[in-house]
Amino acid sequence: MKKRKITAVLTALAVTAGIMTGCGSGGGKGAAADNAPAADKAPAAQESAGEENSGETASSGEAQAVTIWYYWENEGHQVTLDQLIQEYNGSQDQYEVNAKYVPFADFKKQLSIGASADELPDIAILDSPDHASYVAMGIFEDLTGKFDVSNYYEGTVNSCTVDGKLYGVPFGANCLALYYNEDMLNGAGCSVPATWDELKETAKALTTDSVTGLAFCSVQNEEGTFNFAPWLWSTGATSYDINNENGIRALAFIQGLIDEGVMSKECINWTQGDVMNQFIAGNAAMMVNGPWQIPTMQSEAPDLNWKVTLIPRDKEYASVLGGENYAVINGGNVDGALDFLTYATSEEKVKFMMNQFGYISADKTIAESQFAADSPYYPFVEELNYAMPRGPLAEWPSVSDAISLAFNQVITGTATPENAAAQAQATIDGIVK
Amino acid sequence: MTKLKKLFRYENVGMLFVLPAFLYMLIFVGYPIIHNIILSFQDVNAGNLVKGTRNFILFDNYLELFKDSVFTSSLWNTLRFTVSCLVFQFVVGFALALFFSQRFSFAKPVRGILLVPWMIPITVTALMFKLLFATDIGIINFILRSLHLIEKNIEWLTTPGTAMFALICANVWIGIPFNMILISTGLTTIPKELYESASIDGAGKVQTFWKITLPLLKPTIESVLILGFIYTFKVYDLVYVMTSGGPVNSTHMLSTYSYKLSFEMFKYSKGSAVANVLLVILLFVGVFYIKATTEEETD
Repeated sequence: MKKRKITAVLTALAVTAGIMTGCGSGGGKGAAADNAPAADKAPAAQESAGEENSGETASSGEAQAVTIWYYWENEGHQVTLDQLIQEYNGSQDQYEVNAKYVPFADFKKQLSIGASADELPDIAILDSPDHASYVAMGIFEDLTGKFDVSNYYEGTVNSCTVDGKLYGVPFGANCLALYYNEDMLNGAGCSVPATWDELKETAKALTTDSVTGLAFCSVQNEEGTFNFAPWLWSTGATSYDINNENGIRALAFIQGLIDEGVMSKECINWTQGDVMNQFIAGNAAMMVNGPWQIPTMQSEAPDLNWKVTLIPRDKEYASVLGGENYAVINGGNVDGALDFLTYATSEEKVKFMMNQFGYISADKTIAESQFAADSPYYPFVEELNYAMPRGPLAEWPSVSDAISLAFNQVITGTATPENAAAQAQATIDGIVK
Repeated sequence: MTKLKKLFRYENVGMLFVLPAFLYMLIFVGYPIIHNIILSFQDVNAGNLVKGTRNFILFDNYLELFKDSVFTSSLWNTLRFTVSCLVFQFVVGFALALFFSQRFSFAKPVRGILLVPWMIPITVTALMFKLLFATDIGIINFILRSLHLIEKNIEWLTTPGTAMFALICANVWIGIPFNMILISTGLTTIPKELYESASIDGAGKVQTFWKITLPLLKPTIESVLILGFIYTFKVYDLVYVMTSGGPVNSTHMLSTYSYKLSFEMFKYSKGSAVANVLLVILLFVGVFYIKATTEEETD
């Protein structure tokens, strides 16, 4: 009797626990995947744009559906994309476009799962460094000759070109630059730094008990690699050739910033959004970040006096190219996808999207006339001239992992710059050669 | 006709009742596991996921894994994490269960409130502990500094050694109520007469604990420890949110490393091999659990 009671309670608890953690006790791959990040449960709440559209799809009988997947969690971005789609849907009645939000943390996973289960959208708007991997997977349509990208920034076009064939259209471009708190800089009597030495001196002068001189995201993933790349490339090192004087100097420079206390070790746990919050809270005097933060900064901290400049250089100015690309999935509604993309990449629509997003157009001619010289976005347009893409390489995620491990080892003091560089090089050689 | 009749004979009807559950298990549990095992013997990556040319490379993935220092450290981390969590949450849970089995006012409502940590979504707990353990703004460093126990802030989540400690603290906090409530239930099944006669025979508190409480709780304790092992061993969300396996891969668990290999680095086969190692270990524990519970029932 009593044993039955215990068994009953245990079973009940086991079942509840299974529900709460999202899986039974079987373990294995199912457990790993089902327990996935919290973001998993978010889409329902944020899918408003997608739902509205799917509702309309049902009501209009003849139009063919075209589905887009994107990962912008920013509400402004979602509304703008929705507006573009509504206009497109209103302009013709052959196709009915609808968009679905997939959280960034899950985007790669969903595309991979979708690819093997044959459940993919017709268009994906994806992070540019991942583009080559999905081309290798063979899920993207060859778009060579279908879009005129001759005016686009070379780096953005390269990110969706594999073996001379175009597999996507750049959506927008962005890059990293240095933000500085003008009041703090003036207060300390510093001028705007342009070289690494000047940057370190300035950061030292700005560091106080409650303020650290510099902050940039150093998380051990693609986001961190994105932020480390400008330092690495400024020395003349490349992503594939780190174990040399240049690569080691880049790692040693970061180590110096941490050791001298002008940058917080917590940067390894700060996303770019966290870094921005530290900056607008006045906890960091300078930060490296992208132009997509500007709308938030302007609304959250309207009184903060900040400016943007080029990332200080070692040998040469360098920045890293970011942004999304449109890709058309083969085997889906290719005609509909192409029709929508032709509409969305027209000059008028690109201008509308870029201005609403706070993005810089990947089209050079549009970008150069997009902002006035006193706009905070303007330095980013200048910085774009020095910005290089990551990859493009199908194995980029593994290369990126080796690089992000290296600077995390240096920041946490678990390896010297020399050892970290040697280890990263060994991994990269195993991938690239 | 007779065959059909035979099928519905009394002793066979039971089989039919089991059939839906069996089919469910076959499709939703059996198939993924078998598919995963096959996947781990192939070489599937971004290049051939869709194209369908999958080479069988047998044990190469596993051999490579055991040469991979991140894998071996994540295996070791998972074991270390599980054992440390089990020890602390079991001891504290047991102590609390004994405490609340005393009859005093509010014992029941307070015991109920103590269940809250177990009901909070793990992501929320993880974020909470991430803030508690933050270097400059974390309340733990603030308290330690105010008490003059430390002079410089401890970099809990950014130093390889202490990050694991922070994870264990968070998980113990979640696990205590689970242990407490199961042991409390076990305590209620021990007949009061035993304690009464023991006290008449002159047994002290310590003696009754070792001679009555502990032996009679043995089946409960076994179940608590084994279930706890399974739940702790496959930890994912807590680690993903608090450290994502960092700093410098020092807190990767088998589950987080499997996810990283599969979905961040597109090494699907290697990721599934890691998941299978997890599965095999849990399978052993599971068999042990079933054996323990069936023995208990036939006692």
